[in-house]
Amino acid sequence: MKETLRHIGTLIRKDLGLHFRSKETLALIFVFSLLVVLIFAFAFGPVFPEKAERGKLTASVLWAAFIFAGIITLNRSLTLERTSGALHGIRLTGVDASNFYLAKVISNLIFLSLLEVVITPIALQFLDLLNLVTVGVLLKLMGVLSIGTLGFCAVGVLLAGMSTSASGGESLLSVILLPLVLPIIMGGAKCTVSLLVNGTVASGMWLNLLVGYSLIFLAAAYLLADAVIEE
Amino acid sequence: MAIPIRLFLCTYPFRGFPMRLRATGITKHFGHRPIVKDVDIAVDAGEVVTIFGPNGAGKTTLLKILATLLRPTSGQLEIEGTAALTDSLNVRSALGVVIHESLAYPDFSPYENLKFFGRMYGIAQLEERCTTLLAEVGLNRFIHEPLRHFSRGMTQRFMIARALLHHPSVLLFDEPFSGLDAAAKQFVLQRIARERAEGKGIIITTHNTELGYLAGTRFLFMINGELEAVARKDDIAMGALVLLYEERVVNLV
Repeated sequence: MKETLRHIGTLIRKDLGLHFRSKETLALIFVFSLLVVLIFAFAFGPVFPEKAERGKLTASVLWAAFIFAGIITLNRSLTLERTSGALHGIRLTGVDASNFYLAKVISNLIFLSLLEVVITPIALQFLDLLNLVTVGVLLKLMGVLSIGTLGFCAVGVLLAGMSTSASGGESLLSVILLPLVLPIIMGGAKCTVSLLVNGTVASGMWLNLLVGYSLIFLAAAYLLADAVIEE
Repeated sequence: MAIPIRLFLCTYPFRGFPMRLRATGITKHFGHRPIVKDVDIAVDAGEVVTIFGPNGAGKTTLLKILATLLRPTSGQLEIEGTAALTDSLNVRSALGVVIHESLAYPDFSPYENLKFFGRMYGIAQLEERCTTLLAEVGLNRFIHEPLRHFSRGMTQRFMIARALLHHPSVLLFDEPFSGLDAAAKQFVLQRIARERAEGKGIIITTHNTELGYLAGTRFLFMINGELEAVARKDDIAMGALVLLYEERVVNLV
C-alpha cells in the first residue's frame, strides 16, 4: 500500500511538474477556453436574455470549453509519455499499470479543475450571471464540474493511452472519446443549468447519471488499464 | 573460406555462476511476419553476451522482449529465477535498459529525471546517488540542462546513468556505441567492463564488430530473426570474428 501511494504520488508530482513546465499546454487551454467564452459572450451580448436562458447559455459555454480543453490536455499528457519512450521507462520501474492510470486521472483532474476555477467566474461575468450566483451555488457548480471532469478523465486517459500510440492519434481521441462521454456531458450540462437557474440541482436523475457514469467509467477503465498500457 | 575458430553451441553460459537471465523458444510475429524465431539465450553473472547482426535482424525486438517491454508470441523468459512473462512487475527492477529512446522526459534535466525514476524505484539517499552517477558518466556540468538540449553522446551517457540508477543485476544495451565519438565509445566500454566486474549479466546488441568484441565475453550472430552461437572470447580473435561476421552476415546483403 505504501509503495502504491509512493508511486501514485510521485507520478502526480511529475505530471503536474511537466504540465506547468511546458507553458505551451497551459497557455493553449487557457486561451482556448477564454476564446469560447468570449465568442459566445459577443454573439449573445451585450444585452443578454432573461436569467433562465442565460443559465442554459452559460452551461453550454462552460461544458463546451472544458470538454475541448480536456481533449487537448489529455492528448498532451499522454503524448509526453510516448515521446522518448518515457512510458517504457516508467514501466521498467515496476509500477502497476493501474497505478499509472490512476495517477494520470488525478493529475489531469487537478490540472483541469484549476482551469475551471479560473474560467468559470470569467464566463459567469461575461454572460452577466456572476452577480446573481451565490458562493454556495458557485461551490456546488464547481462540485458538478469536478465530478464531470473526473468521469471525462477516467475514460479519456484510457482512450488517450490507446490513441496516442496510433498514427493520427490526436484527432482520433476526439472521435472515440466524445460519444463515450456523452452521458457525462448530458448529466453535467443539465445539472449546471439547474444550478444556475434555480440555485439547486432540482432533478436527482441528472446528478445520478453524472455520478453513476463517472464512477462506472473510473472502475471499468481502472480494470482495463493494465491491458491498454502493457500492450 | 576456412576460419580458424572453434564453433560450438554456447547458447547456455558457464556452470557454477548464478544465472541472471534465460530465455527459451522466444518467437515474435508482427502480423504474420516472424521477426524473432525460436531464440534461446542466457546470461550469467559477470558475463557480457554480444549479439551482432545487421539492421532489421530482430536485435531490438529481442532486446525489448528480454526487457519485458514487448510480449513475445511464444516462449519463456526467466530473470533472476522468476518467470518474467507472468510476473513482469517484480522482475523489472532487476533490469537496466538502454534502447534507442532515452526512456525519460526531454523537458526535465538529467537530475530531475534521475530523481523522478529514483523515487519510483524507492532508492535511499537519492540525491547523493543522482549526483554521484551523473558525475561518473561525465554529466556533472549539465545536470540542470533540459535533456532535449543534449547531443547524442550526452543522451547516451544519461541513458547509461538512468539504466544503472537502481543497481540492476541485468543490463540490456541496444546499440550502445551508435552515434558516439571515440571518447564516448571508450567510456561505454569502460563502464561495461566495470559493471561486468561487479557481477552483472549484460547483453549488448551491435553491428560494430570491433567494439562488440572488446565489450563482450561471448558472441552470437542474429540473422533474419534467428540466433546463432559463435564463440567465447577466449576461443576467437577479433580479426577472426570480423571475418566470420563479414562472411556470415555482410555477404547476405
